[in-house]
Amino acid sequence: MAIGYYFIALLGIFACITNAEATGTDQPMVTFGGFGSLGVSHSSMGLGDYVLDSGIPSGPGRSEDWSTTNDTRIAAHLAAQFTPKLSAVLQVDSEFHSGNSYQPEVEFANVKYAFTPNVSIRAGRLALPTFLESENRDIGYTYAWIHPPIEVYRQEPITHSDSVDVNYRLQIGEVGNSIKAIYGRSTIETNDFPTTSNLSSKHLWGIFDTVENGPATIHVGYQERDTDSEYLLTGQTGTLVKDSDLSVGAQYDPGDWFAMSEWIQRKSTYKTGAMYISAGYRVKKFTPYLTYSQNSPGSFLSGFPPPSSNGIRLANRSQSTVSLGVRWDFMKDTDFKFQFDQVKLSDNSNGFLANVPANVSLYGAKFHVISAVVDFVF
Amino acid sequence: MKPLEIIRNCLKLLLLAMSTVTASAHADVVVIVSAKSPITSLTAEQTARIFLGKASSFPDDGDAIPIDQAEGSAIRDEFYSKVVHKNSSQLTAYWAKVIFTGDGRPPEKLESNVAVRKAVANNPNAIGYIDKSAVDKSVRVILGQPVR
Repeated sequence: MAIGYYFIALLGIFACITNAEATGTDQPMVTFGGFGSLGVSHSSMGLGDYVLDSGIPSGPGRSEDWSTTNDTRIAAHLAAQFTPKLSAVLQVDSEFHSGNSYQPEVEFANVKYAFTPNVSIRAGRLALPTFLESENRDIGYTYAWIHPPIEVYRQEPITHSDSVDVNYRLQIGEVGNSIKAIYGRSTIETNDFPTTSNLSSKHLWGIFDTVENGPATIHVGYQERDTDSEYLLTGQTGTLVKDSDLSVGAQYDPGDWFAMSEWIQRKSTYKTGAMYISAGYRVKKFTPYLTYSQNSPGSFLSGFPPPSSNGIRLANRSQSTVSLGVRWDFMKDTDFKFQFDQVKLSDNSNGFLANVPANVSLYGAKFHVISAVVDFVF
Repeated sequence: MKPLEIIRNCLKLLLLAMSTVTASAHADVVVIVSAKSPITSLTAEQTARIFLGKASSFPDDGDAIPIDQAEGSAIRDEFYSKVVHKNSSQLTAYWAKVIFTGDGRPPEKLESNVAVRKAVANNPNAIGYIDKSAVDKSVRVILGQPVR
């Protein structure tokens, strides 16, 4: 199914090249761009790997002293405007994943039809806008941090889905409101389960609303999907598990400083939650920032078979992090960032550490992570 | 010197420094529409929303087509810092997010005040910003110091 989308996108791009007068403006029909990050990080915890998300198989700590796996990637982006109403994008990302490779993958490929400037529909591979920075989480240049707070952003492993979405934008005085509804499916690679696996989600739907008033932004989202996580955990075929997420975010950014906070409540066979709060101040080309982020251990819900030991391990993962960092806009379209994280694991889990030996418990452990990155857009 | 006097002197110095900074901003930016447009005024917030692609029409209806100036020009930096409250790297970050998520594309850019004025004058839906000194009868100032 996904291949069909890419075909449509490529066909469209070809159509626009051959029909260069179509948009009626002086803007180029096809634009090429991209972004990237070159990052390195070190963790003081040598008994496990500090990894950003479940798709990254190894990182700093146990596997490597200094590692580039978390914050190094490059992406190329092709956007085409065929007519004022019809457009398409294709984005290919290369980042570290299983097989210890940076093999490029299609992150986004979709066609958009705008009925009016305020009502549009898209089909193809789309971002899932769970959080304020979900759609741009790979684009380090777009935010102050080295990466979004992992306790919160890890709650949503699905970065893209093969879906259809409808967008409606409304302007009331100076307040802008945009609402998005999405339906589709997704498959993502994850290392959360006993072996590297593909987590499939079907009947994925969600509704997301963003209200903007001057420097203030509020984002609320609700989504559901049926996943095969139990099958991946136990190896036994059974019913799909319904996952649901409720996420709320608020941001205030008048220009010279910013403050933001996000919160998520997740339900599958267990219920869990996560939040962060972050603030930064812009002094000329420097933006120092401070973030506190944490997630709570899951509590199992009734009505499901008793959880497996792997299920308990996954649900229990809980940790908190205090991050202090600075972004330096030292060059046009390029920044440098440095971040210090103090991580504390919960009293009954190894947190989100990966590759911890089976007989090792790091419950309650504290360690620090140092990261540096150069982000760029082109 | 008494502590109060020291504070007073420090404040004076600070005020002096601030006034120097204001005076050194050479470009005097105004937001314009065509003289043929029915729009007579816009707030900074409404203008910012149009230039960021968050609004595609004027508050009283009618499509709004923003026309930008060249990247790195003093007038552009002045406009975005005063009206949109973003410096050039914040603006690049904003558009990176919009472009790479497929949500939109930045406004068309023209190379000079005169080019923007001509383009705006010829299109009743266009909105642009130019230096105050480049304003003539073909356009109407809707935000910023009115021209005598």
